[in-house]
Amino acid sequence: MTSANAAQSDSLPAGFVRQLVAIVGPEAMLTARDEMLVYECDGYTIEKNVPDVVVFPTSTEQVATIVRLCNEYKLPFVPRGAGTSLAGGCLPIGGGVMIALTRMRQILEVNVRDRYAVVEPGLVNVHLTNHLKGTGYHYAPDPSSQGACTIGGNFATNSGGPHTLKYGVTVNHVLGAEMVMPDATIVQIGGPCEEAPGYDLTGLFVGSEGTFGICTKIWVRLTRDPAAYRTLLGIFDSVKDATQTISNIIGAGIVPAALELMDQGIIEAVEAAFHFGFPLDAAAVLLIEVDGLEVAVDDEARQIVEICNTTGAREVRSANSPKERQLLWKCRKQAFGAIGRLSPSYCTQDGVVPRTKLPEILEFITAVSARHNIRIVNVFHAGDGNIHPILLFDERDSEQVQRVLAASDEILNRCIDLGGSVTGEHGIGVEKISFMSRMFSPADLEVMAAVRDAFNPGGLCSPMKMLPTAGACGMEHIERSHPGRKAAL
Amino acid sequence: MSDEFQPATQTELCRWVSENAAGVRHPIYPAGGRTALDCGPAAGPSGITLATTGLTKVLDYPSRDMTITVEAGIRIGELAAVLSTAGQRLPIDVPHAHRATLGGVAAANAGGSRRFGLGTMRDYLIGVSAVDATGRLFKAGGRVVKNVAGYDLCKMLVGSFGTLAVITQLTLKLRPIPESARWLWCAFDHLWAIEHVLARLTTSAARPVALDVLDGRAAGDITASAESGLPSNRPVLCLLVEGTGHETAWQLETLQSEIKPFSPHSMEIVNANQTDAVASALTEFQIGSDDPLTFKASLAPSRTIEFIERASDAGCSLQAHAGSGVVHGHLPDTVTSPLAARTLLEPLRDIVRSCRGSLVIERCDEAWKAELPLLGDPHPSWALMRRLKKQLDPQGLLNPQYTFENP
Repeated sequence: MTSANAAQSDSLPAGFVRQLVAIVGPEAMLTARDEMLVYECDGYTIEKNVPDVVVFPTSTEQVATIVRLCNEYKLPFVPRGAGTSLAGGCLPIGGGVMIALTRMRQILEVNVRDRYAVVEPGLVNVHLTNHLKGTGYHYAPDPSSQGACTIGGNFATNSGGPHTLKYGVTVNHVLGAEMVMPDATIVQIGGPCEEAPGYDLTGLFVGSEGTFGICTKIWVRLTRDPAAYRTLLGIFDSVKDATQTISNIIGAGIVPAALELMDQGIIEAVEAAFHFGFPLDAAAVLLIEVDGLEVAVDDEARQIVEICNTTGAREVRSANSPKERQLLWKCRKQAFGAIGRLSPSYCTQDGVVPRTKLPEILEFITAVSARHNIRIVNVFHAGDGNIHPILLFDERDSEQVQRVLAASDEILNRCIDLGGSVTGEHGIGVEKISFMSRMFSPADLEVMAAVRDAFNPGGLCSPMKMLPTAGACGMEHIERSHPGRKAAL
Repeated sequence: MSDEFQPATQTELCRWVSENAAGVRHPIYPAGGRTALDCGPAAGPSGITLATTGLTKVLDYPSRDMTITVEAGIRIGELAAVLSTAGQRLPIDVPHAHRATLGGVAAANAGGSRRFGLGTMRDYLIGVSAVDATGRLFKAGGRVVKNVAGYDLCKMLVGSFGTLAVITQLTLKLRPIPESARWLWCAFDHLWAIEHVLARLTTSAARPVALDVLDGRAAGDITASAESGLPSNRPVLCLLVEGTGHETAWQLETLQSEIKPFSPHSMEIVNANQTDAVASALTEFQIGSDDPLTFKASLAPSRTIEFIERASDAGCSLQAHAGSGVVHGHLPDTVTSPLAARTLLEPLRDIVRSCRGSLVIERCDEAWKAELPLLGDPHPSWALMRRLKKQLDPQGLLNPQYTFENP
C-alpha cells in the first residue's frame, strides 16, 4: 500500500484528508484511484463507483473519530468487510469515505462455558470456526464465501449459508454488538447475556446493511458440534423429481442440517473443477446432510433415502468418509468459483419461494432462460426455498446485460407472486431497491424509513441503500454529484 | 380505569387507532390474554384498552411449508391444537397458555425452559403486521422461512410490550412435534454440586433442550403443582430430552452416566405420562402468585449457581434456565416494603453487573413500582430506544408508562 498523498485526492477537502492521516496514519489509507479500483464494487459487479478514500482503522475509537470527521465535512461514509456481498451493499454511492474493517480482525474472547465469543468485525468467518476446533463448539452460520467473508459483513447482511435450514441465519447467532452510530457515538447493544431490557436492537440491527451504523465488536453465540453426520447425494434424471423430493422431505417433518440442489449446468462446471465423480448426465443432484446424535442419524438418513427413491432418484450415494464429505462440501461451496469455466461474467440471483413452490419456480426459470436466450444454471439452498439461479453472460455486451437484467426481474417478480421474497440472504443493497415497493406497501416503507431515521437521521451512513426513498431529506445531491457507472449500460 | 375496545377485524382496529390519533388521542393499552398486563411500570394515565382477542383467524396454514399465518388474538392453546393436526408446534413455553394470545406472547417475549435448545420467539417470528400509534398498518418479513428484504421489524416488535405498535398478524416458522420427550429429575444435597455438573454438561454427548436448576423452595412448589411425587425440598437439576424414542432413551442413559460421578441425592426419569405436567409446572412458576415481587435476571450461565445461592439464602425461590443464564425469582413474603426489596436485590444486581447482565423487576405491588429501578441500571442503548419510540409513536400514545427511564 503506498502512502496517501493529500494531493492525489482531488475530490476531498485537503483539511479532511490531513485530519484523516492524523487519525489512522498514511499507511492505513488509499487515495490513488488505481489502488481503489478493487473497492469500486462488491460481488455485484453491474454497478460500480470508486470511493474518494479508503481508510483501514484498527480500533473502535479510530472508527468513531473518522465518522465524526465525516459528519463535520458532511461526507458520506460506508463500511466494508471483504466485499463478498452480492447486492451492492458496500457500493460507495456518491463516493465519500469507505471504512474498511479488515484490519480489525481479532478474536477478543472465547468462552465455551457461557457459549459465546467476542470478535472484531473484520474477522474472516472461517477463522473463528478454525479457532474453535477441538472445543466441541462452532459458529453456525457458514455462508459459501466463509473463507473470505467477514463476520461484520455477515452481521450487516444477516448472511445465511447451507446449514441455515436447521441452525438459522446470522441473527439467530448474534447476542450483541458494539456500534459506532452515524453520529459517532459508541453504543453497546445486547452483549454476552441472552436478554437485555427493552427493545431487541441487536435483532433489528443485524441485516440493516450498514444503514444504522458500523459494528466494531460482535458477541456471537457458539453452537455445540453435532456428534455425527450423514451426507447423502441423491441423483435425479429430472429437476422436477428433485424439487418434489425436497418438498416431500420437509413435508414429512424432517429437518436436515442442509438440503442443497445443483442442476446439470453447475454439476458440469464443478466436476471439471474438482473431479468428484458427479454423473454428468444427471439432471440434478441433491446434497443432503443430516446431523445429530449417532443413534439418530442413520434412521433419519434411511427415511430420506426412501423418500428419494419414491420420488424417482436414479441413485442415492452416501459420503463414506470425512474426507469424501469435505470434498462434497468443497464442491458445493466453491461452485461459484467454478462458474468461470462456463462464462466470462455471471449474475447470481437470490429469490425465495415457499418450499412447496420449488418445482414451479424452477420450471419458470427454464422458460425464462429460453425466452431471453440466457443460459441459467442453478445451485441453491433448496430446503429453505432459497433459489440461486446463476445467469451467465458477457458483461462487455450491453445487449446481453439488458437481457440478464430483464430475466432476473422476471424471476424475482415470480418469486413475489408465489408468496416469496426477492432476497433470502444476499440483501437488498442497491441491486434490489426497485423491488422493495413491489414487496412492501408505501406504509411499510415509511415505517422502515422512520426506523432508519431513529438511528441515521442525517443519512450520511451508507446512503441510498435498502429503501427506495432517497437516503434522507437533502441527500439527493449525493448520487448526482458522484454518479456510479453501470456495466456496459 | 380504562374503557375497552375490541375490534372484530384488523381494518376496524386500524380505523379506530387512526381516528384516535387524529382526534381525542387517548392513551392506548394493547391487550391480548391479559396474562402479562401486570408486568412493567405502574399503570399510565387512563385510556382505552385495545383488546386483540377478537382477531382469532388462522389466515394461512401451508403445513407442508412448515409455516402458519394467524391473527394476533389467537390463544396459544388453540394455536397448539391447530398445529398438532399436522404434527407441528411452536416450541415456546408460555404461562397460562389457554389464555395467553400469540400477539401478547410476541409482545412480552414469553418463554421458558426449552429456550436453551429451541430458542425464543425471535427465532420463530418470520413475518408480522402491526398498526402504529397513528393507525398506519405496516408489515415486515414475509411468509417464507428465509428472507432479508427490508428491516427486520419482527425482531423490533418481539419484547416491545405494545409500545411501538399493536401486532395484528403473525407468520411463524414451525417445528415438527418430536416422537418422544422425557424429563430427567436430579436432586442434589448442595447447589454447588450442580455447578460442577453444568460445567461437565457443556461437552455432554447428549443434547438436552432444557437445563433448569431449581432451588429447594422452587423444587417444592413445582413438584407439588405437578402432583408428580418427585423428590423436592432440595436443589434440583432437571433436563429435557427430545427426539425419537430411541434417541431420548439413549440420551437419558448418557446423561445419567455423566451426572452420576457428581453424587446426586437422587436421579429419576419422570414417567412419560407426567412429562406435560412437569413442563407446565415449570412454565407456570415464573408467573408466581401472591409473592411480593417477581424478577427475571439474565446473566452468564457460569454465574447462575452463585446467583441462585445468594438469592436463595435471602429467602427467594428460584428457577434458572441454566444453559441460557435466565433466572426467574420470587421474593419471600417477609419483604414488605420497596426499601426491603431494593436492599435484598442489591447484592444480586452486583452479580449481574459483574457479568454485564440485567435484572428486571417484572411484577410487584403497583404502589412499589415508582420506587424501584424496574429495568435495573440505565444503559446507553436506552437513548436509542427512546429515539425509536419517538419515531413510531411521536405522541406517546401506546403504553405511555414505558419510558426507558428509571423513576
